[in-house]
Amino acid sequence: MLDQILPTRHPLLVRIPGVVVMLAVLSIGFAWASPGFLSWPNLSNVLAQSSVLLLIALPMTLVIMTEGLDLSIGAVLSLASVSLALVAVTTGSLLLALLVGVAIGAACGAVNGWLVAWLRIPPFVATLGMFGVAQGLALAVSDGQSITGIPTSVQAMYSGTLAGIPVPILLMLAATLAMHALLYATPFGTYVFALGGNREALAFAGISQRRVLLCVYTLAGAMGGLAGLLLTARLNSGHPSAGIGMEFDAIAAVAVGGTTFERGNGWLPGTVLGVITIGVLRNGLNLIAVPSSLQVCCIGILVILAFVFEAFTGERTGAQV
Amino acid sequence: MIIQLPTATPVLQSQEPPLLELRGISKSFPGVRALQDVSFSIWPGEVHMLLGENGAGKSTLMKVLCGAHQADAGAFFHRGQPVQITVPSDARKLGIAVIFQEFSLVPYLDIAQNIFLGRAPRGRIPGTLDRKRMLAEARRVLDLLGMDIDPRTKLHRLGVAQQQMVEIAKALSQDASILVMDEPTAALSERESEQLFRVMARLKAQGVAIVYISHRMAEVFALGDRITVLRDGQRIRSLLPHEASPDALVQMMVGRSVDMTYPRHFTTPGETLLDVRGLSAASGIHDIALTVRAGEIVGLCGLVGSGRTEVARAIFGADPVISGEIRVFGRIHHGGPEAAAKLGVALIPESRKTEGLALNRSVADNIVSAGLPKLFRFGLFSPKRARDIARDIIARLSISAASTQVAVGTLSGGNQQKVVIGKWLAAKARLFILDEPTRGIDIGAKAQIFALVDALVASGAGVLMISSEQSEIVHVCDRAYVMRDKRIVGELQRDELTEQNIVLLGMHDA
Amino acid sequence: MSATIFSAPRFALSSELVRIGFRLLAVALLCIALSLASDAFATQANIMNVLRQASLLFFMASGLTLVVLTAGLDLSVGANIGLSACVAGTVMKATGEPAYAVVAALGIGAFVGLLNGVLVAVLRIPSFIATYGMLWILHGLTYAYMAGSTVYGFPRGFRQFGNGFFLGVPIPVLVMAASLIVLALFTGRTIWGQQIYAIGANPVAARLSGMPVRRRLMLVYTLSGLTAGLAALVFLARLNSAEADIGGSLTLPAIAAVLIGGTSLFGGVGTLFGTFVGTLLLTLVLNGMNLLQIDSRWQPLVTGVIIVAAVWIDIRTSGRKT
Repeated sequence: MLDQILPTRHPLLVRIPGVVVMLAVLSIGFAWASPGFLSWPNLSNVLAQSSVLLLIALPMTLVIMTEGLDLSIGAVLSLASVSLALVAVTTGSLLLALLVGVAIGAACGAVNGWLVAWLRIPPFVATLGMFGVAQGLALAVSDGQSITGIPTSVQAMYSGTLAGIPVPILLMLAATLAMHALLYATPFGTYVFALGGNREALAFAGISQRRVLLCVYTLAGAMGGLAGLLLTARLNSGHPSAGIGMEFDAIAAVAVGGTTFERGNGWLPGTVLGVITIGVLRNGLNLIAVPSSLQVCCIGILVILAFVFEAFTGERTGAQV
Repeated sequence: MIIQLPTATPVLQSQEPPLLELRGISKSFPGVRALQDVSFSIWPGEVHMLLGENGAGKSTLMKVLCGAHQADAGAFFHRGQPVQITVPSDARKLGIAVIFQEFSLVPYLDIAQNIFLGRAPRGRIPGTLDRKRMLAEARRVLDLLGMDIDPRTKLHRLGVAQQQMVEIAKALSQDASILVMDEPTAALSERESEQLFRVMARLKAQGVAIVYISHRMAEVFALGDRITVLRDGQRIRSLLPHEASPDALVQMMVGRSVDMTYPRHFTTPGETLLDVRGLSAASGIHDIALTVRAGEIVGLCGLVGSGRTEVARAIFGADPVISGEIRVFGRIHHGGPEAAAKLGVALIPESRKTEGLALNRSVADNIVSAGLPKLFRFGLFSPKRARDIARDIIARLSISAASTQVAVGTLSGGNQQKVVIGKWLAAKARLFILDEPTRGIDIGAKAQIFALVDALVASGAGVLMISSEQSEIVHVCDRAYVMRDKRIVGELQRDELTEQNIVLLGMHDA
Repeated sequence: MSATIFSAPRFALSSELVRIGFRLLAVALLCIALSLASDAFATQANIMNVLRQASLLFFMASGLTLVVLTAGLDLSVGANIGLSACVAGTVMKATGEPAYAVVAALGIGAFVGLLNGVLVAVLRIPSFIATYGMLWILHGLTYAYMAGSTVYGFPRGFRQFGNGFFLGVPIPVLVMAASLIVLALFTGRTIWGQQIYAIGANPVAARLSGMPVRRRLMLVYTLSGLTAGLAALVFLARLNSAEADIGGSLTLPAIAAVLIGGTSLFGGVGTLFGTFVGTLLLTLVLNGMNLLQIDSRWQPLVTGVIIVAAVWIDIRTSGRKT
């Protein structure tokens, strides 16, 4: 095994998280290979494009910290997207669309939470089921078609700027700060750590594990709704399959960022970096004109490499044998 | 084991009512009466020893005390006043805190967050934590315990002993006046145990009462102010240390006289089965040399952390070896567990549930698991043959199991251990490496295990046995090696094999 | 996954029979219900169709079962089929020789599986991540290789493999039966099968019992890839064409079939026959929906509900907790 081949870890390497190294290497590489990479318009583009993924990767970090998974979030995102698109098209109200999207997302998340916490169904299975349900509902609501005619108020969520900074980047910032505060500065955050690290501790402290789990999954769903709004704004339409597959990207970003699937070791900044790394990779490969099919290839290699690197230098232990 | 305990204030069983009294507590679960009419009392500053086998009711009593279970019948009194304990918060309010063996700590939170889990002081912004107060209070209780460690340290960075201290700190922070400790020294080294006893002395001086569950007679007599023995859910007797002897206590625990001398049939050793020279491994063990001959039980002693398990694993091939030579049955063995099993070497690991058995699988499946290539020709598996083999082993080892098809996780600890040994017997092993074979096993079953091992070597096998119970080593082994700081520091022949010598060789220089 | 709190049924074996019994009952009831609900169900043509569909799904689910038995997951099966099918298809088109296609499909499928096995067993990457990364890599390679084109028009002899009959039974169904028997025997009646179960139940104990855990894990993933290659051949024979996104949409139904069939994600529990019944169940439900003219957009929803229901029933009856 790996730790038999390499007897000791270099002491300096241990301190630096794998994702940081990966991001640095990629950024330097692309900056050298393509002069346009380091420009502000390009970098801001990278961030904006990563915004939807970040919105779902942040709560996914919490879910994974509780030793769970949310496979449904891409489908929930799509369901929210088409639903709020309909609302936006018929009422023209951004606020209403936002409320509907978040409400639907939260409802789906709550069902996930109920399945996992009360019925004790393994998160993989429960959210896989919800994936199917949400996707079915999305197809039903939208009749299988895209919903166009999105009002400009909604479009502005993606293309607009506030004080010169694109709205999606502001959203990312706000979401990151809010999640950070939630996880590291509130009692709820400690409960999330406890769910993954030692559930018994919560029982002894008289805190309901079920309620915390329910909140975690509901939060993920709600953020999925918000992400749905952003995606609708970006695509300028509501599409029933728009978000499908993003859950895997989110999980990959979280894993690459250093959060482990066991024991409740979560690192939110790592998730942010993981999302940005994936965005940088896609953007950079675009700039050096790699065909999109091979780009996809590279993402796969990246995910694997980042994980191997983390195993090298991080405190993670190998999962299976 | 010599315990150096600083002198503590003697307990005054004054005319005052006890700090906590239980009268006639009963608790049943479906199919089992865990506690029957148990009465128990404890005074401030008292260290009250609680003894009993697995299943005697100790853990149920603990859970009732801390409110995790509700008693079916009986009454509680706090300083003479009747009280209720039905939920954990009731117990907390009365100042009762339980330190379980599996701690209630969260690895990736820091000490302060752990101490305040679920009851953190709120900050000015609604919903946030008041870190300053948390850190200050954590500092206060850590100082009370004499622990000089930063409360911002994440828990997973602490060793087991330190984590235990954090558990105690957590209890103190909730103004615990009664601490219940379940086998606290089980995972501690000698030095760490002494540290714990010093802390206990401090707590005693402050009037904290301690209920202490332990199997270790030396601790029971050195630390206890009173002793209560439970058996089958009932309280047998409460007495003062000078009124009892270890044998008498064991008799009370087991209900019959148990031969504690583990009779051995010593024979002249035969050929050399295991010959280790100059073994060093990545786990830190250095220049290990030992031999095991047919018909021998060779002990491997030393303190927790001295490297015994590492030696066992290196010999078996479970851990990589840096240098040295391992000869098994005359052949050089440098492979992994697969090669070892093929040669006829067996490892019975320390934690049988996580490393020795597949709990969800049947007894039969577990029994044949180590000998699959040897027992089944052409790679073809036959469930019927597996059952037959299992039945044979069950009979030979007197394993108590309803059938070969029950899941092995339903068996008792002693029977589970027999299945692990049986698995290697079925695999035709001739060299057995036993790592703490009687850990967590009832006294009655322990004797059976040793009888089993005795029979093994009588039929020509060789055994290398790791044990932290010096009395076991002394009674059972032909000779023993003593380890210290990852090296072997001595070998004791039969006539030199005494507990004193083991301890002398194995302890750190003062 | 967190440590399983042990709470087992008293008799490990008979509970397995009970669970399969429930599922078979469900299949039987479903058949009865469908034949009552729709005249078109019990016809020769429809039954054959159902069995053909099931066989395709089964090829994917069978190898996947072995992986899940070791408490792993192979998310790359769909993409594996895509790559294998496309390469095999183009080879067959260029050379006109079906034999080369067979070698290509099975070879690539198995090789990809082996790579997965190396990632999981040697590099110790969690199977979820490793096969997910592999999924992207395969997708990318397939798209790059096909460059947007489609290859079609395969030799008739080859197409018979997908459309032909033998003794009145569609050939894919016969192949399914054969692979079911072979794999069931492999898991139940060979020591390698027993080792796979042991590894899934407790990999540490398996290793310390002298089992070659790494080699078995690699074997299991290779077999999963091999069955994907087989599925690729059936796809080619049935569709008479190959394009880059073949197979992608079948990954989740394959996982669903495995779960519905009673194999546990935690490893060590489950059978090939269970997967077969799970496949049948799923295929029957989808077939029934088609016959009753329920729009296909509801299929993911129904699949999702069935998965949750099946696993929930398992948990209630077997007492296994997370």
